[in-house]
Amino acid sequence: MSPSSPSKDCLLEVEHLFVSYKTRKGWISAVKDVSFSIGPGETLGLVGESGCGKSTVAFSLVNFLGSNGRIVSGSIRFEGSELVGRSRRELNRLRGNRISMVYQNPMSALNPTLRIGEQLAEVLTCHRQMPKAEARDRAAAMLRRVYMPDPEQVMARYPHQLSGGQQQRVVIAMAMLNRPALLIMDEPTTALDVTVEAAVLDLVEDLKEEYGTSILFITHNLGVVARVSDKLCVMYAGEVVEQGPMETVFTHAAHPYTRGLLGCVPRLGSTKKVFSLEPIPGRVPAPWERPDDACVFAPRCRHALDSCRQQKPPWLDVRPGHGARCLLAVDLTEKPLQLRGGPSGPTDAHMETPEEDHPLLQMQDVRVYYEQRKTSLRSLFGLGGKDFVRAVDRVSLSVFRGRTLGIVGESGCGKSSLLKAIIGLEKLNGGRLEFLGVDIGKTVRHRDLEVIREIQMVFQNPDATLNPSYSVGKQIARPIRRFRTVPKGQVRAEVVRLLQAVRLGPEYYDRYPRQLSGGEKQRVGIARALASRPDLVLCDEPVSALDVSVQAAVLNLLMEIQRELGTTLLFIAHDLSVVRYFSDDVAVMYLGQIVERGPAEAIYAPPYHPYTEALLSAVPIPDPSARQKRIRLGGNVPSPLDPPSGCRFHTRCPRRDLLGNESHLCEQEPPPWRRAGQNHFIACHIPLETLTALDPVLHQVS
Amino acid sequence: MLVFILRRMLLLLLTMLLVSVAVFLITEASPGNVARNVLGSFVTPEQEASFLNQLGLDDPAPVRYLHWLVGSDWRGSRLVGLPLKRLVTEKGFVEWWARLPDGNLVRWKLDGDNLIAQIRRPDGAVEEVPDNGRWRKRADGSSYFWGLDAHNRAVLWEKGTKRKAWVFVVGSGWKEVSGGAMDYLPLKKGFLRGDPGVSLRTGRPVAKSLFIRLRNSLVLAGIAFAVVMPLALALGIAAGLREGSALDRSLSVGGMVFSVIPEFAMGIFLILIFALWLGWLPGATVFGEKAPWQRPDMLVLPVLTLTLIELGYVLRITRASMVEVMRSPYIRTAFIKGLPYRRVIFKHAVRNALIAPITVIMLHVNWLLGGIVVVEVVFGYPGLGKYLLDSALYKDINALEAGAMIMVVAAVGTQLVADILYTFLNPRIRYR
Amino acid sequence: MLQVAEGTSQGKTSRRTGRRLFLGIRRTFSLIFASRTATVGFFIVAFWVSAAVFAPLLTPYSPTYQDWKAPNQGPSAAHPLGTDELGRDLWARLLYGARIVLVVLPVSQDLWLPGGTALWGVAASLALGAFLGLVSGYKGGWIDEVVMRLLDAMMAVPVILLYLIFVAAMGASAVNVVLAIAIVGTPGIARLVRGLTLDIRTRDYVRAAETRGESPWYVMFVEILPNAKGPIIIDAMLRVGYAIFAMGTLGFLGLGLPPPSPDWGSMVAKGREFILAGSPWAALWPSVAIASLVVGLNLLADGLREEAMRYQ
Repeated sequence: MSPSSPSKDCLLEVEHLFVSYKTRKGWISAVKDVSFSIGPGETLGLVGESGCGKSTVAFSLVNFLGSNGRIVSGSIRFEGSELVGRSRRELNRLRGNRISMVYQNPMSALNPTLRIGEQLAEVLTCHRQMPKAEARDRAAAMLRRVYMPDPEQVMARYPHQLSGGQQQRVVIAMAMLNRPALLIMDEPTTALDVTVEAAVLDLVEDLKEEYGTSILFITHNLGVVARVSDKLCVMYAGEVVEQGPMETVFTHAAHPYTRGLLGCVPRLGSTKKVFSLEPIPGRVPAPWERPDDACVFAPRCRHALDSCRQQKPPWLDVRPGHGARCLLAVDLTEKPLQLRGGPSGPTDAHMETPEEDHPLLQMQDVRVYYEQRKTSLRSLFGLGGKDFVRAVDRVSLSVFRGRTLGIVGESGCGKSSLLKAIIGLEKLNGGRLEFLGVDIGKTVRHRDLEVIREIQMVFQNPDATLNPSYSVGKQIARPIRRFRTVPKGQVRAEVVRLLQAVRLGPEYYDRYPRQLSGGEKQRVGIARALASRPDLVLCDEPVSALDVSVQAAVLNLLMEIQRELGTTLLFIAHDLSVVRYFSDDVAVMYLGQIVERGPAEAIYAPPYHPYTEALLSAVPIPDPSARQKRIRLGGNVPSPLDPPSGCRFHTRCPRRDLLGNESHLCEQEPPPWRRAGQNHFIACHIPLETLTALDPVLHQVS
Repeated sequence: MLVFILRRMLLLLLTMLLVSVAVFLITEASPGNVARNVLGSFVTPEQEASFLNQLGLDDPAPVRYLHWLVGSDWRGSRLVGLPLKRLVTEKGFVEWWARLPDGNLVRWKLDGDNLIAQIRRPDGAVEEVPDNGRWRKRADGSSYFWGLDAHNRAVLWEKGTKRKAWVFVVGSGWKEVSGGAMDYLPLKKGFLRGDPGVSLRTGRPVAKSLFIRLRNSLVLAGIAFAVVMPLALALGIAAGLREGSALDRSLSVGGMVFSVIPEFAMGIFLILIFALWLGWLPGATVFGEKAPWQRPDMLVLPVLTLTLIELGYVLRITRASMVEVMRSPYIRTAFIKGLPYRRVIFKHAVRNALIAPITVIMLHVNWLLGGIVVVEVVFGYPGLGKYLLDSALYKDINALEAGAMIMVVAAVGTQLVADILYTFLNPRIRYR
Repeated sequence: MLQVAEGTSQGKTSRRTGRRLFLGIRRTFSLIFASRTATVGFFIVAFWVSAAVFAPLLTPYSPTYQDWKAPNQGPSAAHPLGTDELGRDLWARLLYGARIVLVVLPVSQDLWLPGGTALWGVAASLALGAFLGLVSGYKGGWIDEVVMRLLDAMMAVPVILLYLIFVAAMGASAVNVVLAIAIVGTPGIARLVRGLTLDIRTRDYVRAAETRGESPWYVMFVEILPNAKGPIIIDAMLRVGYAIFAMGTLGFLGLGLPPPSPDWGSMVAKGREFILAGSPWAALWPSVAIASLVVGLNLLADGLREEAMRYQ
């Protein structure tokens, strides 16, 4: 029954671990019968959606479950000795020394009132009684080792003075100071931007090679796990459902949940035209809804048999070192994963060629600046000059009817501000916005009701998208009444129709947001946006806060709606794979400006803008057989208060040397738009031929 | 940082200005007046008018506010036609004199129709000489003169008006005087120039009595503060560390109960227990000429009352802050780094946990001032609060304004200190 | 407001509303009784509320009836809590004192409004404070700047000074006490509501309303305010406690309701003079009354807040 046979050379062995939390409903088990092992120098990837108990497992290893959690039974053997039941004093000797940890949010993991140097050095002074001066030297050396520029200076700073990526480097350095045998990384890159994430993952690989540290890597991101781990352990609802060597699990997944997960993430190379996502229906059951005598995944499983609901399936080894908790494991593992389904997007011919002269929405030199008050003596009396955050600076784009334009960029690039300007929540500081040829450059308060009705928005955070004080029905009915879409007497019927359009039953009419899951809330949000029957729907990262399995369902829903109603979508996201999959046209944004735009297919093959190239090479791909070029950006994103001159990307551009003697151009002049194909444009000083000659970022190893 | 402090200073000045105007206006608009408060309710209208005239209270309100704020001597000097000088005698009395071109100081009095100058020699000796040459003539032939009298007022005398007036001299009562004094302008340097004026109720300079009262109040508040702070912070941290334990529950519920009981009720309970029932301590404070620290037994109950009430408040704030810090991810990091418990608490937790309470406590000074007033009234303690209450009930505008200004400075000043402390304790603000 | 009615039966709607109300009350009670401190507080407050409401049934005496033969007496069968210096029954005065605090507002000799003095004060500051906080938090910009600077200045002035100047100048009456409490309470509530508004207005549902082109008033009162009500209710409860505290203090300082009203604070002030003469009762009982009521309210609010936080 044990998924991994015990062996002498295991660094960490967890067996039949049960962890419970005390809540108002009594003791609730969060982790059930979890077993795995990690060998020396090995990396185990622990994947699963939110609420499946990954972090609980991590914290139970160092027995730090808070005042309301405890290990009920099971054993954790580390370097041959049992950890469960040990005193705090004994565990303290291991913590930070033999076992250390890296956390999801580095900002809150560092003490805001202590200098970095002190927080690093105390790990050494406490565990090894090292003299302070020596500890500081060692800390500085370790900072240098994690590629931190200016270690001495960084040591004298406070956490808030560093960027997110730097903070995470500090936390990693802190964890590595005592050369631990086991490093636990709990979603270490989730809070970071893609390019920073890639650099941190590179660092993890380097450290692993140099120190031979074993790593327990926890993440929800299949792409990340494919990049770093040797073995994979998939958790669902507090249980391990599948475990095995990473590549085998990806190619021969044995558990329906693993297969489902792989089927609902878009691959970087694929689009909606060639591949449809297959969402997993339903939601992860709450801890108190999990049966003890049935397969916990059965309610969402496509393959579920009657027997799945009557007994807990046993652990089945399908091949040495690879097993799953499923009755059908042996059958499923041999079936190839069906990843090339039919197209799910509109394939009509006219969609391929946008009508060049009649865009639905046209942006011309759009600028959105935020005023920032200077903190000088003069400003005290209202005399000082004003600083501007140039969130959006001269953006020109067109959106064509019935198509989807995706705007992609890292946090702070101005994509949200652009969206707000279009919907009328932000004032334009210049430029023109035209909707069907009508100027809509005014804020929403000054727009005609008719224009407001035509442009609606879907929001990012499912927990904030609905007003908790009103029922679902009321919230969808409000825009219907406001825009008088239907006569008064038919409002309720219209709401029900909209609910059905987003695949929710009429019984949702009287429910309150607190009774809905994240995906359901997002659906209601979409229904509300559709209630006014808009022509253009703006989507502000509509799936980034959702679990993978739910993401797919929402994306599919949006595509179906587009197909049925011919709605035009403007979609912003930081996730390249999603944007590429979902959009017909893509624009890449950096520091308030568009650097490249064109049809989705064109953006993902050379010629690239150097920033697009770096983004593509940074995206984690949930496919172990895919290989990416390794292009990493140095430095931090410059402040939009004072953006770099010339090309804004020149401070970090890895391709600048291609220009040779001409590279001063990048600093001095804004780059020209180069036409790389029909509707495909790149803003770069580097000649198109040079860019075209570059290797593609992605290639498949078969 | 400097900008920030300057900003707050400006705010303080603005607040003081607003409050002084507000006090002035409200006292102005209110029914009942000072004359009746001071003189009793049996004054005749003539007496009342005379009294108001002598104190300059019959001027329009904006003028009086101006006099209070920047003084009236400049106006007096213009009326008299000579520069004025303020002297403080060896006994501490304030005297106003006009300066003659030869450098000697002079005041006047009226004797019948004769104007007599009292000239003060540099050695302090005063010589009286007739000075009828100073009368001036109006168009209708009457003579008048603006001069200074011995009560620090600029006075308008008129020749030949045998007018009788009732003069109220604080301390000795009504006196009938005759003479030609038609108008009075009491001289003062004004609040901005360091002279809060004379109390209408007692006739004594406000600054002098206020100083002793302020000292007494500071002694009371100081001792209470010194007892409360270390105790409350320590107990709060202890309770916060053991969230949910019996110690925590009893401290936080007990702290809350004590902190919300009104000061006067708490004072009454303590008097009943310690003075009436146990008979250990005096139930009221009577210092006479002594300073509070010379009668420590009388200080115990007032201090205890304040302490009990403030203790609970500070304790609860500290506890809440400590609980929050102990739940924070960086404390988790510190534990998982394998640091010893004591180091996690003292090095990582306490400093962060104290940032919130210290500022909140400073802001609470505002509230504490109210407590002091009540406690002083309960125990008859001769402090600033009681002085202020009496002044407010009497509409003794000079005393009230001065007391109010001290309170505002205390409240806003501590807020400024709180802000500076906060910036100092919190590097997130210090190094932006 | 959003409406439910679909032109179907009105009765169905009102039944649904009634049921929601019932569920809300039941939830509140289950919250109260889940916490021991809240339960204790609830019973103390309930005691005083019923004492105030049923005052005439609970004592045969009038609060102003003077028994000149029995001044300054201790508890006895005739006077359960004793009498004051004029021979008035202390129990009766306490009960009618509670009425003024919790049940009626004596505007003048003839006009008595329902709702206690403390409650009116809190209600007034709540209305004004919530309005200012909402507007300044939602609108931002110079409105926010002006309102906040003004409130800052008001908060910088010691509370006791405001009370002193205001009541001393305007004269002692129930209406002036209400005004004083309202003026002192407004800045705090405005800040609380502003803080909540600043938080809530960044939520996507507010943005959704804005993208529908809803008016600022709709957004403020329909989208934002209902979601801020939890903390506001708790705060209001604490503020009723403060208001009673303030009423007592004002009365004690001689700035409360004019005699012979059975004002608790004034009763203590009067009774204080006779403590050292050996009759502590007249000072003790009103002190106990006011302390217990304030403590009760705070226990209730505190317990509720803790419970509500755990609920989330």
